[in-house]
Amino acid sequence: MGDDGIFEELKQSVIDQDEEKVLATVDKALAAGVDARKVIDDGLLPGLDVIGEQFECEEIFLPELMQAALAFQSAMAVLEPKIRESGGEGPKKGRIVLGTVKGDLHSIGKNILRLLFETSGYEVWDLGIDVDLFKFIDKAKEVDADIIAMSALLTTTLIGQKDVIDALGEQGLRDKYRVMVGGGATTEEWAQKIGADGWAPSAYEAVTLAARLVGAQAGSAA
Amino acid sequence: MTFAELLTPAEVERLHEASLDVLESVGILAHHPGAREVLGRHGCVVDGDTGLVKFPSDVVERYRKMVPPRFTFRGRDPRFDRTVPDDGPTVVTGSSAPNVIDPVTGVERRATSTDIARIAYLVNELPGFDVFSISTLAADAPEGQFSLSRFYPALKNCLKPVRSNTPTMADLHGVLELGELIVGGRDAYRERPIINHHYCPMVSPLTMDVDSTEAVMWLTEQGLPVYTTVVPNAGLTAPMTLPGCLVVGNAEFLAITVLQQMVREATPVIYAGLPTVADMRTGAYTPGAIETGLLIAAQAQLARFYGVPAGGYIGLTNAHANDAQAGFETGMNTMLAVEAGATLLNMGGLLGSLMAFDFGKCVTDNEIALMDKRAWRGLEFGEDELALDEIAAVGPGGSYMGRDHTKKRMRTAAFLPRLAERGTRSQWEDAGRPQLQDRALAEARRILAAPNPAVWDGALDARIREHFPGIVDGDATSPEALA
Repeated sequence: MGDDGIFEELKQSVIDQDEEKVLATVDKALAAGVDARKVIDDGLLPGLDVIGEQFECEEIFLPELMQAALAFQSAMAVLEPKIRESGGEGPKKGRIVLGTVKGDLHSIGKNILRLLFETSGYEVWDLGIDVDLFKFIDKAKEVDADIIAMSALLTTTLIGQKDVIDALGEQGLRDKYRVMVGGGATTEEWAQKIGADGWAPSAYEAVTLAARLVGAQAGSAA
Repeated sequence: MTFAELLTPAEVERLHEASLDVLESVGILAHHPGAREVLGRHGCVVDGDTGLVKFPSDVVERYRKMVPPRFTFRGRDPRFDRTVPDDGPTVVTGSSAPNVIDPVTGVERRATSTDIARIAYLVNELPGFDVFSISTLAADAPEGQFSLSRFYPALKNCLKPVRSNTPTMADLHGVLELGELIVGGRDAYRERPIINHHYCPMVSPLTMDVDSTEAVMWLTEQGLPVYTTVVPNAGLTAPMTLPGCLVVGNAEFLAITVLQQMVREATPVIYAGLPTVADMRTGAYTPGAIETGLLIAAQAQLARFYGVPAGGYIGLTNAHANDAQAGFETGMNTMLAVEAGATLLNMGGLLGSLMAFDFGKCVTDNEIALMDKRAWRGLEFGEDELALDEIAAVGPGGSYMGRDHTKKRMRTAAFLPRLAERGTRSQWEDAGRPQLQDRALAEARRILAAPNPAVWDGALDARIREHFPGIVDGDATSPEALA
């Protein structure tokens, strides 16, 4: 089997949302001496691209998108150590601190977003649920984050998103991080009102937003 | 009235048993240490490290049987007190939306305390509504007065029972101080607690939170009126089947109910739900979907099995305008609920999955609520109603139009809508082809243009304003006056 064959097989295993097949094909590729970086770039990521397109035109549904992303994530757990060993670790797209705000215990949307961020090449620190405003800021400082991403489902806990942005301002850190907000209780207008840098109506669209924010940040620094 | 039943008695029992199994074998993750302590002390098995609480079936059975069969909402004016299920469909507004569709510009914006005052007045005047659950947040709330800025305009402008939640214990105590000032002291308030508390302490799947749980436990201990809603979302926080969603929601209802009875025996509760099936194309939240009606109908049967009042958030919509979708989602779902015997309907005024209040939608929902209440009355079957003497008197080929028998009943036999079109096409065209939303907004403006007689006297208002310095005005200024 030539290289093209194994890449096609990797791609198809992701499209099939079949974690076992993804892992077996990754093993097969590595055993055949294919570079781990190429397994990702030429095999798995093209598969995720197809999954994204299928999702956008409602050919597949959210659980299928998630299963493909989870399969990809399992493969990354095998591939990333190999890339590090060979010193070939590529740069991450960005560093994101993520969590659900104080008083709010809802995690499902946030967890979907974490998965999509990770499979899109971001490093994510997930602070979980009921996150105090200082935890967001301290973690962002600690890991030198590019983005702070906050979720809120309850309208009564929404204010926690504003609290973080206000506290960043008080500490003179507002321009250091891009802040994105989302979750069932949020709207674009709310995001604008509290001075967030971006808002997205769904986890899938939040990934596009993050790319834009990180790009914007790099641009403004240049 | 015989209720519509989607489940056989055996299926109801199976759902109950399955819920007991889930509580005993899977358990509930209880984040509040005080709740874990109470549950442990009354026979549940608590894992101190993980916070997981398992409920032995005999413990659940013992405590859930203590629940009384009715729950009363009290208002500033006792004439508006409502008890479920005895008083039939009790219609409540939808609550806590962050936004409002501006009644003048039609643009969605953050809601303020003035909006709450106007909505309170509107709800006070619309006969379909029984309880005002504070429809929006107040973006203009002064620092430290998040909840006061909602409850003060609500209570000031509405004699009907007012219901809402508070995010913190400090807010809860502030709101109760307001209630005590209104009724004339702590003792008087304990006699007539006019604030009706509501929380969602159960976070699906099978988790009990901290802040709401603390509020529910404290209010229960104090004997103040509080009830909770369970909110399982099939596909995301519950299995992707309707029965599976019912099991998760029922286990959650039993868990919080049992906790309340452990805190104080014979505490009134409501089996209230907002069960949904997510739209798995995107994961979208769909409270207006027909499955919510089916699930609420099934929960009403479970509630009858437990001998408690039933209902919840039913008749919400995903629509962003007061259009046909908004109407069919509210109409079809509330009809399912009412026919199944649910008597608490949290349905009024909200668009976009609880995100925005719309004055036109509120007036429309008033009309839907009145239709629901008419449906609840049923056929009113009886010998008199068979009207056999009248049929004989009119005889073949006669007319019932000019008869005393007709005149006596023509205002009550049928519900007479204010918004629904009943004229001819030419009449409608001559009137400028008014859409339902035009008529609904005109009705809202008509009501809000007059001074509100529900507002309390100046002396009381002065005492309140002195007690809470900097509190919002809380006046239902006519929307036109601001335009």
